[in-house]
Amino acid sequence: MKAMVLAESVREAGEALGAILSSNVASEDTLVLAFGSAAENAEAIAEYGVKVYRAMTHNPEQAFHAARTLYEKIKPSVVLGLSVKNVKDVASRLAGLYDLPMTTEVWEVKFGDGEVIYKRGVLSERAYSIEKVGYPVIILLNPRVAEPPARRGGGVVEDLELPEPVMKRVELKKKELSGVNLEESEVVVGVGRGFKSRDDLKLAFELAELLGGQVGGSRPIAADLKWLPEDAWIGISGKRISPKLYIAIGISGAPQHMSGVMGSKVIVAINKDKTAPIFKQADYGVVADLYKFLPVLISKIREKSGKT
Amino acid sequence: MGDIVVLVKAAMNPELVRSKPDGSLDEESIPLKLSDIDRNALEEALKLKDKLGGKIYAITVLTWGPLTKRQKDLRMAVQEALAKGADEAIIVADESIIPGDQVSTSNAIIAAMKKHGLNPSIILAAEATIDETTGQVAGRIAAKMGYPYISFVRSMRIENGKVIAERDLEEDLEIVEAPLPVVVSVTQEINQPRPPTLIQIRRASKKPQITYTGEQLDSLVKPKREIIERRTITISRKQVIIEGSTLEEVAEKLIDALEKEGVLRL
Repeated sequence: MKAMVLAESVREAGEALGAILSSNVASEDTLVLAFGSAAENAEAIAEYGVKVYRAMTHNPEQAFHAARTLYEKIKPSVVLGLSVKNVKDVASRLAGLYDLPMTTEVWEVKFGDGEVIYKRGVLSERAYSIEKVGYPVIILLNPRVAEPPARRGGGVVEDLELPEPVMKRVELKKKELSGVNLEESEVVVGVGRGFKSRDDLKLAFELAELLGGQVGGSRPIAADLKWLPEDAWIGISGKRISPKLYIAIGISGAPQHMSGVMGSKVIVAINKDKTAPIFKQADYGVVADLYKFLPVLISKIREKSGKT
Repeated sequence: MGDIVVLVKAAMNPELVRSKPDGSLDEESIPLKLSDIDRNALEEALKLKDKLGGKIYAITVLTWGPLTKRQKDLRMAVQEALAKGADEAIIVADESIIPGDQVSTSNAIIAAMKKHGLNPSIILAAEATIDETTGQVAGRIAAKMGYPYISFVRSMRIENGKVIAERDLEEDLEIVEAPLPVVVSVTQEINQPRPPTLIQIRRASKKPQITYTGEQLDSLVKPKREIIERRTITISRKQVIIEGSTLEEVAEKLIDALEKEGVLRL
């Protein structure tokens, strides 16, 4: 069976190749369409021992035309990638053009004879779905579903010609990011709309620092109000975290947020509204005004830990 | 400017997930509602119309059955779209595409536009729906129609027949431009949807709505996906509310509890 990997970065290409090569799908016919930073580092992908077609562009429209050309030429049974925005963009166009079934954010996939079975979250990950489709198919995986394969070398890189795009880039701005790594942190303090001003977040930062943790926020705080950088946004469209301890302060518990913290070992909720849905999804709840409770909690922790 | 099409969905409401005693999802009893980010797409359509004119068509395809049981939810979602500013609603409801997938839905949308004689200047959609969240129907439609596609847009304007839009990528904001006609998918940050006024709600029921069945449309394509199993994910949390006569006492009890759990070491 032939497989085509769509990748915008070397990491994505590695994980998608890992998923294909560890399955029973014939590995000899696997190739990679690399665009964006994956194209700039095409040689690193070729080290996995696969042929890499290089589309030197960040533009998803041009990457789509390259994908279409390759699809026509090779007629792969499986198009595989990771669920990142530009890959989703390219894949959705390819899916539309050929009416291919496509799915994203896949947790597990099994390539069988004549059918593919996969598992993914639905309904803000309050449920999972196991689904079946026939070939050809487009599957976009969640990160870390598969490990990159060994670098056996021997792959070659071939350049693809790209048509002039209709959609053109005017400007590229780097987002302001804090560089916090919430996914790796053992303690995370989450802040929500219960905080009345940006300045008040210092209470959360003080608590996080005492506990050796990091601060993240719900959508309104990180994405709408921008009181925190976007990489501190916790939720289904932001970061998914799995710390030992998650302390949610002034967060109501919307499903889009909670699905991002599902992996936490212990969840503490501090909210003055005793009917807030978060209390049903927390291990320990404190019904209190955060402005009154946090200073007390902080001073108790200082007292016990001997930190002043 | 020509017409504006907004893609809307009566999506399963993730806040009202229900399961059967065996833990499988009780899909038929989960209410449908207008998918959240569709409101932002409608709001953006309204902003474009205020400046540039044109008519707003909301198109929806019923994905979840049973057909007869879903009429009320479908009507509510369509009414909301009309109250929020759509001038006309086009509905596709047909047994052959229920439960639908993105293949059947995108083909049904195109069939409905064709049947209705629409040649929109802009097609707006949400970056994803709240139930399936695969975010692919807009891209499919763009490829099928041969329109340029601008995805994950968090601000946009139209100038001299061109859309200038800011795409929200993982680490960058990319500003792009493309000529009309175009397909645009929007994120929730693009605007703050205005709640409809009482007059708008009252007017909504008088606006034209048309429902197409499979017989009236050519080129409906059957879903290619089979759902084998859906189950709710239950993570049981302890749900202990810590109480005390003073906040000091509450704080101490909380610290004790977390130390016992082994997640806090002071």
